[in-house]
Amino acid sequence: MTRGRRILVSLLLSLLLLVSACSAKTPNRFDQVQQESTKHGSGLAVAKGATQGSRLNKFFPQGGDGYQRVYTQEKKGFSAANLKKDGKTVAQLAISDTTSVPGAAAKFANSTQSIGGYPAVELGNTQTAILVGKFQVKVVSKDPLFTAGDRQAWIERFNLDGLAQLK
Amino acid sequence: MSKPIFELVDQLPTNNLTIKVLNALDFIAPGEWQNTVGFVNTIKTVTGETDEDLIQQIGERAIYLYNDSSQGYQRALWLYQTVDSTDKALGAAALANKIGENVSILGFLDSITPKPEKAQTIDLTLKLVVELVAFCQINGIPGDSIGDFVAALGEYSSESFIRMAALVCLDGLIPLGPNFINKALTGISQMSPHDLEKNSTFNTVKEFIPGSNAAGKLNFIGDSFESVKGWMNGLVANNNLSPQGVVGNLQQFVEITEDKLDYVAAFLDVATNYYEHTGTQTLARRLIERAVDEI
Repeated sequence: MTRGRRILVSLLLSLLLLVSACSAKTPNRFDQVQQESTKHGSGLAVAKGATQGSRLNKFFPQGGDGYQRVYTQEKKGFSAANLKKDGKTVAQLAISDTTSVPGAAAKFANSTQSIGGYPAVELGNTQTAILVGKFQVKVVSKDPLFTAGDRQAWIERFNLDGLAQLK
Repeated sequence: MSKPIFELVDQLPTNNLTIKVLNALDFIAPGEWQNTVGFVNTIKTVTGETDEDLIQQIGERAIYLYNDSSQGYQRALWLYQTVDSTDKALGAAALANKIGENVSILGFLDSITPKPEKAQTIDLTLKLVVELVAFCQINGIPGDSIGDFVAALGEYSSESFIRMAALVCLDGLIPLGPNFINKALTGISQMSPHDLEKNSTFNTVKEFIPGSNAAGKLNFIGDSFESVKGWMNGLVANNNLSPQGVVGNLQQFVEITEDKLDYVAAFLDVATNYYEHTGTQTLARRLIERAVDEI
C-alpha cells in the first residue's frame, strides 16, 4: 500500500468513526412517549369533547381566612389556581377533564377513601385528588406546612355537587 | 417540529454569559431565580416529588401536552426563541471559547454596532408584547374577569420574574438610560407603522400580535407597554436601579466601561439569550404543573 493510500484509508476510517459517534444517541427514558405522542400528527393531548376550562372556574373555592385564590392557567379540559397565604403560594387547586387522560380516572377504581362522598386517592407526597363524574379535582401542596389534612379540607370547599351536574 | 421538550430542558446551559448576567441581577430579588436545568430535575424541583414512577408519569403527560401543537406551548417557545435570536451568530461564535474566563468587551468594539434609539425601542417593546402573547399561549386567559387576568400576570416569580427584571435592565436602562420608560413611550407614539414594518423581528412575529394591520399592532404594542409602565417604574424605584448600578454588577465578570453604555447594550444583545433561556424554564414549569394536576 502506498503511503498516500494509507493516509486516505485512515482518514476514511476516522470519518466513519466520527459519523457513527455523532449519530449514536443516548437512550432517554422519555424516547418512547416522544414517539407515541408525535406518531399520528398532533392534537393528541386533549380530548375533542373535553369541557372548556372557562366552565370550570366557578366551581373553585373562594379565598378567605387569610387565603387568596389566584387563577393561573385555563385551557380546554383544565383550570388551575394558586392558593396563597401571606403572599406565598401554599397549594395549587385544579379541576381537569379526565376524558383526555383515561389513567387519571382509572386510578380511582382502587380507592378506599372518600372526600365529600366522592372517591379519593393520595398520590406521592403532595397530592390529594377526587373523582367527580368525569372531572378530577386535585389539591397539590406547594409548602410542606400545607398537610394532607389541609388538602382534604380545601377539596371539600370546591362546589363538588355543582361540578357533578356539569356534563 | 424542533427538538423534544425534554431535550431542550436537558440541554439548558449551567454556565455561560447569559447565566452570569442573570446571576448578576440577583441583587434585585435575592434567591428568586435558580438556574434549574434538566427535565427530570425540573420535575423534582417544581413538584417536590421523588417517586420515580410518579416522575415518569408527570414527564410523559408534560411531553404529550407540549407535542400537541393546538395547546400553544410550541408557539410560546418559538416566540421566546425568535425574539431573542436576531444577530446572535456573532455573539455565539465569538464567545464560544470564553466560558470560565472574564470577557473584555474591548475585544468586540470593532464588531458590534450600537442600535439607534428607535430600533432599541422596538426591541424593548416587542419583547414585552411577546411576553404577553407567550403568557396567553401557555396559560390561556385565566379566570373570569379582567381582574383575574391581571392577578394571574402578577404571579410572576422565579424565571419569569428574572426575565422581566433583565428586560428592564438590559433592554431598558442600559441602552435607553434612566428615563427609558418615557423614552420608549414617546418613541412608540412618534413611530409610524412603516418604521415597524422595517424591523425584522417584528416581521417574524407579527402574525401573533393582535391587530389587523401594522397600525393596529403598533397600537397594541403601545397599549401593552403603557399597561406595565407602573410595574416597571416600581421595580426601578424600589431597587434604586440605575444604568451605572446595573453595569457595576455586571463588571464582576465583563470588563466594560461605563462611558460606552450603548456598546454594552449591543454587546449583551448579541452575547446573551436570556429570553430563550428563561422562557424555556417558564414553559417547562407550567407544563409540569399542569401535568401534575391532570395525571
